[in-house]
Amino acid sequence: MDIMKSPIFKKKYNLAWKIVGAMLLLIIVSCSMTIDSIVQPASVNGGDVLPVTLNVTIAVNKGQTSNFMVAVLVPKVWKAAQNTHITFTSDITAGPQPMTVIPAGTPAPQGGGLDWPTLLANKVGNGGNLLPDYEWVAFYSNAGYAVADNSTIHVTVSITTKTSPDNLLFKLGYCVANSTDGLSSSDRYGSYFSSCFQVNGTGDLIDFCNPQLSTIDPRTSFDNDIITVTFDGGVAPTALDNASQVYLCISGITTVGDSLSVCTQTDQTKMNPLGLNKWQKDIWPRKLFNLTDNQHLAGLRYYFTDAGGNNKVGYGGGSAPFSYTFKCQ
Amino acid sequence: MKKLIFLFAAVCAAGFFACRPERLATPSEPVKALSGSWQIIKATRNGTDITSRFDFSHFRINFSDSSYTIDSLVPFIVNRNGKWAFDDPTYPFNLNFTATDSTMKSSPLLYPVTNGQRNVIITFSPGCSLNSYQYTLQKAN
Repeated sequence: MDIMKSPIFKKKYNLAWKIVGAMLLLIIVSCSMTIDSIVQPASVNGGDVLPVTLNVTIAVNKGQTSNFMVAVLVPKVWKAAQNTHITFTSDITAGPQPMTVIPAGTPAPQGGGLDWPTLLANKVGNGGNLLPDYEWVAFYSNAGYAVADNSTIHVTVSITTKTSPDNLLFKLGYCVANSTDGLSSSDRYGSYFSSCFQVNGTGDLIDFCNPQLSTIDPRTSFDNDIITVTFDGGVAPTALDNASQVYLCISGITTVGDSLSVCTQTDQTKMNPLGLNKWQKDIWPRKLFNLTDNQHLAGLRYYFTDAGGNNKVGYGGGSAPFSYTFKCQ
Repeated sequence: MKKLIFLFAAVCAAGFFACRPERLATPSEPVKALSGSWQIIKATRNGTDITSRFDFSHFRINFSDSSYTIDSLVPFIVNRNGKWAFDDPTYPFNLNFTATDSTMKSSPLLYPVTNGQRNVIITFSPGCSLNSYQYTLQKAN
């Protein structure tokens, strides 16, 4: 009996071909991107320009013509789409190559109809930023570039973005990809999240990095918005650890300096339990403080109390109130 | 022969009057009817659903021919009663509100039918312009 015609040999032969075929396919179509290193200051002053350099390696086995994509994860308040400038240099181009912001809503390649910001949030994530006021902003190179088979390209990306005057801590994020592969698999793009980056600005600290006893969402609002006040008793031990009900004790500070207080334990101030000693209340400040047409709030000062109003928790768990400033930039 | 000529003329006349040009009716876009009282059945702020977290249940906006009134105000595109109008009565893309003693405010308008119920979806910023609210309105019973 010819051994090559035996069923066992045929089965192993077929399996071997399948494995080789799959490996060839992976090799042929692979185009990997990595962010090798990043140069970013640890902090800047509020309103200053933040300069960042990304060193990227692109390894291509099968030639393609694509636009280069760079995305940044930044606080929304920076308005990065208007205030960010990105160029790059590379082994295969001469001089700085300009990039332009991709309008939100533009479908990303192989993204199932999702646009770049949504796809980046789903696939790459938020880097552990704890407040939801961040956004991915994506840029395409103005030109497409033909890349030869089996080539390795080194790219240096220069990003400058003007920060807002706000005082904040944030974990910046970066992603590089191309307009053909998109984020179709994890080896087709490179991503990087920084440790906590600080802007030494003005106003209340907006801390995206560390868990907070209390937050207000959205960070930017006026008194005619609905704002969500959250108390997270799981962050640190407080006088309300054993409270079965938590209430808001809040003062609105008007633009002319008057203080309007709502500090009775009623349904109007009762926080809703979310579990794990976390509580939340959505309020409409204009209604809560019965503001007249000519009255406007500049900020809020608030505490959390138990049902009796005796145990009171303020900023850092202490006796000073939490504070919030109404602003819209 | 005269009979034949008469018959021929009669057939021609019948044929001539039998053929009238067909007048095709131009398809017309249904009029978007807003008259009545509408309630909020869904509310989002910056994409997050806040319908169950804030009491929208008593809010009503009552549209008549060109006026509206609001009961139990919540953060909305306008704060007072006033006039309303579509940007284009036949193909409206925006719903315009002009509250008494105020300038006109405009909201993008969607007018879908969901589960057999006509909905009106409007998008606006009642406070800070960085915050976008979307309310889905449905006729109140």
